[in-house]
Amino acid sequence: MIIDTQLASLLTAGALIVIGIFAAVFLDNLIKKVIGLAFIGDGANLFLIAMGYKPGGIVYIYLPGMARDFFAQNAAYPLPFALVLTSIVIGASTMAVMLGIIMVLYKKRGSLKASEILGE
Amino acid sequence: MIEYILMFIVIVGSILALMQRDLLKAAIITGIPGAALAFLYQYLLAPDVALTQAIVGSAIVPVFIALAVYKTRRVED
Amino acid sequence: MNLLIPLMVIVPIICALFLNLLHKKDRTIKAIAIILALTLPLLPILASYGIHYFGGYAPLAQNPTLSTGLPSLITGTVLNTFHPAITYAFQDAQKLFIFILGLVAFLAILVSLFETKRPSGVYGFMMFMGVASVIALLLTDDIFNFYVFFEIMALATVGIVLVSGVKGNYETALKYMILGSITSPLLLLGIALLLGVTGNVNITDIIASLKIGVVDPKNPVLLMACGLIVFGWLYGSGLPPFHTIKSAIYSKALPHGAALLQAFSVFTLIALGIIILRIFSYLPFSQMIILGVSLLAMILGITMALLQTDLKRMIGFLAVGELGYIGIGLGLGTAYGITAGLFQAINEVVITAFLFIGFGVIYYQTGESDIRKLGGMMVKTPLVALLVLLAGFAMAGVPPLNAFQSKLMLIQASIQAGLPELGVIMILLSIVTFMTFMKAFHAVYMRPKPADLEIKNEKIPRATILSLIVFLVVCLIFGLFPQLATGFLQAISSNLAGGMP
Repeated sequence: MIIDTQLASLLTAGALIVIGIFAAVFLDNLIKKVIGLAFIGDGANLFLIAMGYKPGGIVYIYLPGMARDFFAQNAAYPLPFALVLTSIVIGASTMAVMLGIIMVLYKKRGSLKASEILGE
Repeated sequence: MIEYILMFIVIVGSILALMQRDLLKAAIITGIPGAALAFLYQYLLAPDVALTQAIVGSAIVPVFIALAVYKTRRVED
Repeated sequence: MNLLIPLMVIVPIICALFLNLLHKKDRTIKAIAIILALTLPLLPILASYGIHYFGGYAPLAQNPTLSTGLPSLITGTVLNTFHPAITYAFQDAQKLFIFILGLVAFLAILVSLFETKRPSGVYGFMMFMGVASVIALLLTDDIFNFYVFFEIMALATVGIVLVSGVKGNYETALKYMILGSITSPLLLLGIALLLGVTGNVNITDIIASLKIGVVDPKNPVLLMACGLIVFGWLYGSGLPPFHTIKSAIYSKALPHGAALLQAFSVFTLIALGIIILRIFSYLPFSQMIILGVSLLAMILGITMALLQTDLKRMIGFLAVGELGYIGIGLGLGTAYGITAGLFQAINEVVITAFLFIGFGVIYYQTGESDIRKLGGMMVKTPLVALLVLLAGFAMAGVPPLNAFQSKLMLIQASIQAGLPELGVIMILLSIVTFMTFMKAFHAVYMRPKPADLEIKNEKIPRATILSLIVFLVVCLIFGLFPQLATGFLQAISSNLAGGMP
């Protein structure tokens, strides 16, 4: 392979963040904006996961009968993975609140255009 | 090899979701990068995160967005 | 091991959940809520200093029972001193900060209980939840834990704005959330980069590994991490370019909510500012960035406050402008400057809450916050008018009150640091602040009453007057005896000024 898996996933994360920021800034539809914001969060999560990845390593679960030194040298770094679990849930709940606000605003204003609703 | 295909699916799926004019379609397509990310996490040695992401990214998030679309307007104007 | 340290975060969360369970019985709930809110300022007074390791996982160096059987690969290296669990540090500076936050929260909740007539429900829940998250921000020594509570704080802020019922609150809340959903992942990215370089999320460990050379401090990735974390800091505290949205958020909340929200942003500024100074103060331009942004915040915030016609928006911009003073204190980088900045932060929290609740009386009585439609309120409420006038004097820095001491310290510190220009700008902007305040004060209280202005609520709740007097007393105490506050802040600022502690 020309680039290894870790670098490729970091680049994917970067691409997701760029796509998300583009959508959040330039698209006019509020639901599209929210989808873009979800992609930014996904990108940040993928970035953290790629930080903990170890090329050629094994999953960080200590199975019975595994040699301790082998596990210590080959296991992936589990700390970022533990953080991502929290981060995914936070992202989903933030998104749910935003969609709720959008539903209320649609009832009030009858539009989903950001330029109409947020432009004052 | 399969990791690279998954990454490709993630990027293309996210762009496709944002290009739809029908918002319900966009909501459902949002699940594709979510699910692909879940598989990618499995290949990046994080099975527990993959489980969470599979549920949140491929089921909960699209359903939330679809609900919001159902309560508002389906076609982007 | 001090059990009261985690309780400072747990108690408000339990209050939030518990008060929502009790519905309908209004009077008893009011009493319970007041008693529970009173624990917020009391807990930090009762707790003794210490470090709390969650789950009891102290570093191996302090935990001989665990470290005996381990190979020297672990005990002989730097791993021995790392913190394996989330750590909460409670030192003298935190004691003062959490006490002030608890006091402002208690008074804001007290006023809201008597003014909104809805003792339980979403509003109280969000207020307690926000207080819990900000206390955690101040206590935590773990940067990811910081991120989690940062997000909870943002959600609580949005919740407080959503339930206010002020016109246009949903739009502002959505705008704030969209900006937040761009910024928070970027802050997380900064944390991820820091984690990738140092392999740690504990701030003390990150600093230790930078200091003893496990990690190269000149690594360019750290620059990127610093930039992203500073960006999150700007959003969390409402410094430019986020000053407009932050002041809009204040103006769309109810006055007591706004009093609490500005306390949230000031303490976020302090908490993340201290983290940035602790980790990145060796970068030569980090202090320049902080100084530049703070100067911009001061100038933009205070000059834009002059142009506003909405009373709450005006105080919101003034609050953002005052944030600049704190930032200048932190950015000067000397021990005296940091003490002055932190002292100014304490004073600003008290004074801005004072102003918001004081002018909130007008909003409570008339339901109007546009200064062009207000007037002649002096006749109705002479006592409140006097208290609000004193709050304005305090904000501008008139001698017997507290901001005078901190602004004087800031000017002295800027002269000591070789930047007397900053002192001149600060004095000029203090005058503009006072002018803005007097413009609002004149329009609301001294001008003859417009014919179409109707008074909805004649009677002011006694709790409001009581809380205004408490704020005035705090202002006077810190103004007459500044060493009461600065004594708590000396240790942390001499630590921060000495480079990497």
